[in-house]
Amino acid sequence: MNLTDLKQGTKAIVSDISKINDLVQQRLIDMGLVEGVEVCLKRTMPFGGPVMVEVCGQCLSLRRREASCIGVR
Amino acid sequence: MSQFALFGNPNTGKTSLFNNLTGSYEYVGNWSGVTVEKKVGKLRNQNGLLIDLPGVYSLNPLSRDEEVVTEFLLTEEFEKILNIVDASQLKRNLQLTIQLIEFGKSLLVGLNMIDVAKTRGMRIDEKKLENLLGVSIVPIIARSGKGCDLLSKELIANPKKEMQTPVFHVDYGFLEKAIEQIITILPNDSNLNRRWMAVQFLEGNKRVKTYLDQHFAHTDKLDQMKRETEEELVKLGLAPSIRQYIYNVRDQKVTSILDQVTTVTSLNKTTATEFIDRIVTNKFLGLPIFLAFMYVMFMLTFDWLGTPLADLLDAFFSGPLSEGLAKGLAAIGASSFIKDLVLDGIVAGVGGVLVFVPQIFIMFFFISFLEDSGYMARVAMVMDRIMESIGLNGKAFIPMIIGFGCNVPGVMAARTIEQPKERLLTILLTPLMSCSARLPVYALFVGAFFVKYQALVVLSLYVLGIVVAMIVARVFSFLLLKGEKSVFVIELPPYRVPQALTLWRSTWEKGKGFIRKAGTFIFGGSVFIWLLTYAGPHGLNVKMDDSFLAMIGGVLAPIFQPLGFGTWQAGASLLTGFLAKEVVVATMNIIYQVPNAVSLQGVLSTHYSALSALSFMAFVLLYVPCLATVATIRKETASKKWTYISIIYALIIAYIISILIYQIGGLFF
Repeated sequence: MNLTDLKQGTKAIVSDISKINDLVQQRLIDMGLVEGVEVCLKRTMPFGGPVMVEVCGQCLSLRRREASCIGVR
Repeated sequence: MSQFALFGNPNTGKTSLFNNLTGSYEYVGNWSGVTVEKKVGKLRNQNGLLIDLPGVYSLNPLSRDEEVVTEFLLTEEFEKILNIVDASQLKRNLQLTIQLIEFGKSLLVGLNMIDVAKTRGMRIDEKKLENLLGVSIVPIIARSGKGCDLLSKELIANPKKEMQTPVFHVDYGFLEKAIEQIITILPNDSNLNRRWMAVQFLEGNKRVKTYLDQHFAHTDKLDQMKRETEEELVKLGLAPSIRQYIYNVRDQKVTSILDQVTTVTSLNKTTATEFIDRIVTNKFLGLPIFLAFMYVMFMLTFDWLGTPLADLLDAFFSGPLSEGLAKGLAAIGASSFIKDLVLDGIVAGVGGVLVFVPQIFIMFFFISFLEDSGYMARVAMVMDRIMESIGLNGKAFIPMIIGFGCNVPGVMAARTIEQPKERLLTILLTPLMSCSARLPVYALFVGAFFVKYQALVVLSLYVLGIVVAMIVARVFSFLLLKGEKSVFVIELPPYRVPQALTLWRSTWEKGKGFIRKAGTFIFGGSVFIWLLTYAGPHGLNVKMDDSFLAMIGGVLAPIFQPLGFGTWQAGASLLTGFLAKEVVVATMNIIYQVPNAVSLQGVLSTHYSALSALSFMAFVLLYVPCLATVATIRKETASKKWTYISIIYALIIAYIISILIYQIGGLFF
């Protein structure tokens, strides 16, 4: 399952971030979105726009394409 | 004088702290990357300089503004590091702190937002944290200034004291062997900590690698060692990369520290931020809310508040001020040359621009509010889908909004964009954003031709700028961005009610540039332009139509004929507008020899039609970035070619758009 499969407002544990583009991956690591942390899909923007997720008590936004590369369980 | 450097994650209140410690009027914002350049301030009541650096998550730079920080560590001299840490986000913040401790300079931690952490039910044992990290920690609340005095005292105490045997040490386990080897290869001649260099190199820090390439001959050997270590690491299944491995090791260390120093009592859930986000980033309402915000901003700037204030100012300049000056000059027996210079040149030119100060300050106030409240990052998110369709990302929208205030900081704000070509493209587009200096031109013309629809017409010009930018982006990204993937990741900081003082300082900081420009550039320009109107091929004090300015403008006039404003006056004012766009207004005031904006509008209505006025405004919006912006583009792109391109493409587009407006509009009206 990946991050974009989550229903809005539900939580999961990040299991894999290795498939994302290198630059995005580094940014996500910086912001604390790493394997093993709890992530919550807060919102998705319309027309395939970015998603908003909460991780470690802070919100961040990334594109749906990248979010769909993040494995969760 | 001792220099101290301020380091910290984005959105940790770094610039607020800077303002508190230095008492200088500094630019504060609440989105990643407001501090795009190194800024220096003098410490309040103390002997020392504080250097404010862009916010970074780690010392391994991904974007241009982050590179500034690593660059600073490698090349600049300073006494001590002041690291501001967000107590409510300790886990992430300490990743940076570890890297800074490893750098080996003496370090002081300002533990910020202890109040926020408390409301989230988190208590931090500062003394214990101090002992575990082996550095001094001062708890502060940067927004209110609490604890900043103590921090300031602590900062200058024993500035020379280097860290003796460091208490804190991260053991990188598997990597230690490679680190040791690299340390033995590295020369011992620089002041830089070799262990820090080795760790940063292994982590893949590009800036450190460049430094080593420049200062050290055997980097091939280092690269090879790194490659081999990484292969072994992956083979052993320790981590997918060295970078990830280092992160994990640090993360474990941070977690073990946090277990010892923090106690979590209760988790306070639904925050105000969450509530606001539910509305402003709503699927359907997000974009309309942003547009409504912009609409209110324009209505206040033009209709509701700005214009009445500008009218009052105009009445003052043309009435009491001019009369007073005329009397004063007569009393001291000034010659008619001086009298004309002061009244027709300086008062007309500078005053004609200064009357728009209220509108410009209202605009800056809103932009400051956007930056300071945390809404800006949401705007980037809401706009990302649209930006993606033109080959950019939502972050590129932030320099554009800043560009509404002034294009110069807008162009600089593009540094936060990670991908180099996307950044270049954003730099090229930002000058199309209608900056505050163009406002006086619009205000003048809409006041004359579109009295009933002032805000609407001006708003449509702003929209025109954005639409043109999008089309240009589409074309350029097609030609330019081949092979580079656009990416978008942004932190959404919690909303904060902007403090009145910060908001005012931020507005003033931006607005004072406009006033300063009126005192220098526009003052000088006005005198020069007036002299050109005063002198002509046949001597001094000639008729306006026989002046040098009329000659110069006359050369350009035929070119502008198809656009609807083929007069020498238009040509001359557009030419001088390259200095700064508001000079267009100053020039017109001088050329048409009118005492105030109202009578200038009267004169203009005999030279322009509503349609040619619209065409003229569109031309002023697009035709060329002002001198200061061109200089900034040159600096930021480090390329003559792109600087020329930015000027030339803008001229071509302006010409095409204006001709379309005038010719097509002429078919209907």
